Amino acid sequence: MTTLWNPTKSSAALLAVAALLSYAQQHAFAGDIKIVANPSVRADSITPAELRSVFLEDRRSLDDGSHVEPVLAKGGAAHEAFLRQYVGKSDDDLRTYYRTLVFTGTGSMPKFLDSDAEIINYVSRTKGAVGYVSIDFPSNGVKVLSISRAGAGFARQLVTRVEPEYPETLQRLQIGGTVRLIVTISAKGSVEGVKLLGGNPMLAEPAIKAVKQWVYFPGPSRSMLEVSIPFIPK
Amino acid sequence: MRRGIVPLALVCLCAGATMLRAQEFKLFDRKVQIHGFASQGFVYTDQNNWLTMHSNQGSAAFTDFGANVSMGLSDRLRIGAQFYDRNLGNLGDWHPSLDWAFADYRIKPWFGIRGGNVKTVIGLYNDTQDYEFLNTFALLPQSVYALDMRDANIAHAGGDLYGNIPLGHRRGTLSYTVYGGWRWDSYYGGYPYALRKTIAPINLTSNGGPQYGGDLRWQTPLSGLLVGGSRMNQQDEGKGTFVPFWKPSAGSIPYWERTRQYWLNQFYGKYSRGPLNLASEYRRTYIDAIDFNDTSNSQIDVRSWYVSGSYRLSKHLELGSYYSHYAMTARYGGILGKAFPPRIDTTLPQNHIYDKVISARIDLNRFWNVKVEGHFMDGYGDGPYPDGFYPGDNPGGFKPNTNALVVRTGWNF
Repeated sequence: MTTLWNPTKSSAALLAVAALLSYAQQHAFAGDIKIVANPSVRADSITPAELRSVFLEDRRSLDDGSHVEPVLAKGGAAHEAFLRQYVGKSDDDLRTYYRTLVFTGTGSMPKFLDSDAEIINYVSRTKGAVGYVSIDFPSNGVKVLSISRAGAGFARQLVTRVEPEYPETLQRLQIGGTVRLIVTISAKGSVEGVKLLGGNPMLAEPAIKAVKQWVYFPGPSRSMLEVSIPFIPK
Repeated sequence: MRRGIVPLALVCLCAGATMLRAQEFKLFDRKVQIHGFASQGFVYTDQNNWLTMHSNQGSAAFTDFGANVSMGLSDRLRIGAQFYDRNLGNLGDWHPSLDWAFADYRIKPWFGIRGGNVKTVIGLYNDTQDYEFLNTFALLPQSVYALDMRDANIAHAGGDLYGNIPLGHRRGTLSYTVYGGWRWDSYYGGYPYALRKTIAPINLTSNGGPQYGGDLRWQTPLSGLLVGGSRMNQQDEGKGTFVPFWKPSAGSIPYWERTRQYWLNQFYGKYSRGPLNLASEYRRTYIDAIDFNDTSNSQIDVRSWYVSGSYRLSKHLELGSYYSHYAMTARYGGILGKAFPPRIDTTLPQNHIYDKVISARIDLNRFWNVKVEGHFMDGYGDGPYPDGFYPGDNPGGFKPNTNALVVRTGWNF
C-alpha cells in the first residue's frame, strides 16, 4: 500500500540522472558552433545553401543586399564541424579551392584566424564579416545568425525575441548546453510549431516555451528555421 | 650563363620567400590582395630529350613564376591581373606574358560575366595547369595537359558567362561556363618551336584566331563526385616566313596556314573522399588545316586520356600515380601528301606515348612543396601536333622508350 524509501534504488536513479546530464552536457558542447556576423548584415538567419555559397565565394551579398565576406578558423573542433556541416569540403580541399580562385582571378583568399576570440574581434569590426565560433563562446559585438532549414527559400527576420529561463538548479550545477529546434513560422510571423532536434532534454522545455513567444516579420509563406539556443553556465 | 644563374636564383628565392606571406591592403576602402608563386624543376631522361630540354644530360631549364593583384570594386565587381613567365628548355625563354586580366561582374550566384584576358575552363585542370601546388603531381598527365602546347588553350581574350545552379535537395549543383574570344599564341610556345625545327624551317610570327566553347559540370549528390564535359571550337591562322628548301636562293618568302576545322571535346570525372583523390579525363582534339600557302592540307586526330589516383598519408606526404595515354593519327594532302605517308598506326612508337607515372609530394609547409616523380614512357609521338618530343632536339633519332626523373619544388603565397 505504501511506497517504502529504498536508498539503493534512489542512489542508482540519482547516479543515472547525473550521468545522463553529464553526457548531455558534454554532447551538446562537442563541435557545436554558432554562426556570427557583423551587425551590418541585416538578416537574422541564413540557409545552409546561402552559408555554403558565402564561404565558397559564390556570392558576396545576401538577397537583402547586405555585403558578406567569409572568415575562417585555422583549425580546431569548431572549424572541422563547420566544414563538415555546411561546406562539405575538408580543410585541405577548401584551401586548394581558395588558391584556385586566387590564381584564376575569380576570388580572393579569405581571412583565416587563430582563435574564437580573434574571429569575434574581427567579425565585430569588419563590415559584412561572417564567421563561426564554438557555441559557448561569448559573442559580444556580433550578431548570431540562426540557420534556416534548407528549402525555406527565404530568410525570416526576428521582431520579438524572448529569452528562455535558465533553471536555477541546472545553472548552479554548471549544467549547460545547446538546444536545437525546428521552428515553423506562419506567413504572418507567429510561431506555429516547435520541434526538438537535439540538445540537453532538461533545457528543451524552457527553450521551447520561450521560442513559442517569438514573433517574426511577415513573409510570403510559411517557413521553417533551425534555431540553436545556448545555455551557458555562469 | 644567364640560363644557369636564373634557376639557381629562383631556388634561393623559393627557399627564402617562404618567409613572405600574401599581401593585403586597402585602396579607396577596398581590399587589395597580392599573391604569387614560383617553381623550379629538374628533369633527367635516360633516352630521348624531352620537353625541349637537354634532359638526357639532366636539365634544370624548368622554371616558372607569376604574381597577381586583385580587388573587389563592389560586391559584384572584381578586377585583377596576373603576369606569368617561364623558361622550359627552349620554350618561354623568360618572356613574361599577361596571363589573365579581367573584370568580373557577378550578378547572382547562378549568373556572372567576365571580360578581358580570361583563363579558359576546359576539363578539370586547364585553367589551373600552371599551378603545380594545386596538384599531387610534378607534371600533370601530358597527354591532356601538355606543357609545351600550353598556349593553344590556356586563355582567350574575350568573355565568359558563368554560374552555379543548385538543383535542389540531393540533386547536386550544376556549374556552367560559356566563352568566346581570341587566342594568341606566344612565339615561344611549342607549336612555333616545332615549325622552326622542321627540315624546311618556318618562322611563325603570329598564330591565333577565334575560340568559343563551354563547360558543364555536375557536382553530384554523392559527396566528392564531380563529372563534366567541355567543348571548344576554334579557327586558327598562322603567318610567318620560310625559306623554300627546294630553292634556298629565293630567300625568305611569306608563309601562311589556317584551319578548316579545329575542335576539342573533353569528358571528365573526379572523386575525392578524405585523403583519397581519383580522376580521369578523356580529350579528343581534331584539326583539319590548310598548310604551306594553300598547297597542302592535313587532318590530325589526337585522342588522349588518363586515370590518376593519389592518397595523402600524412600532413607532409602524399603519394600518387597515373597512366597517361596519347595516340595520334595524321593524314596529309597536296604537296605534304606526296612527301609524307599517312600516320594511322597508333601502335607505332612515333604515334603514341603511354606514360606510367609514380609520384611523391612532400609538403614542407603550407606554402612550399617538393615533388619527386618517375615517368616510364613507351613511344615518343613526334607528330605534327607535338607532345613533348621534338625531332630537332633529338638529332640522332628517337629511341622507342624513355624513362624520366622529375624533381620539382614549388612555392606560393
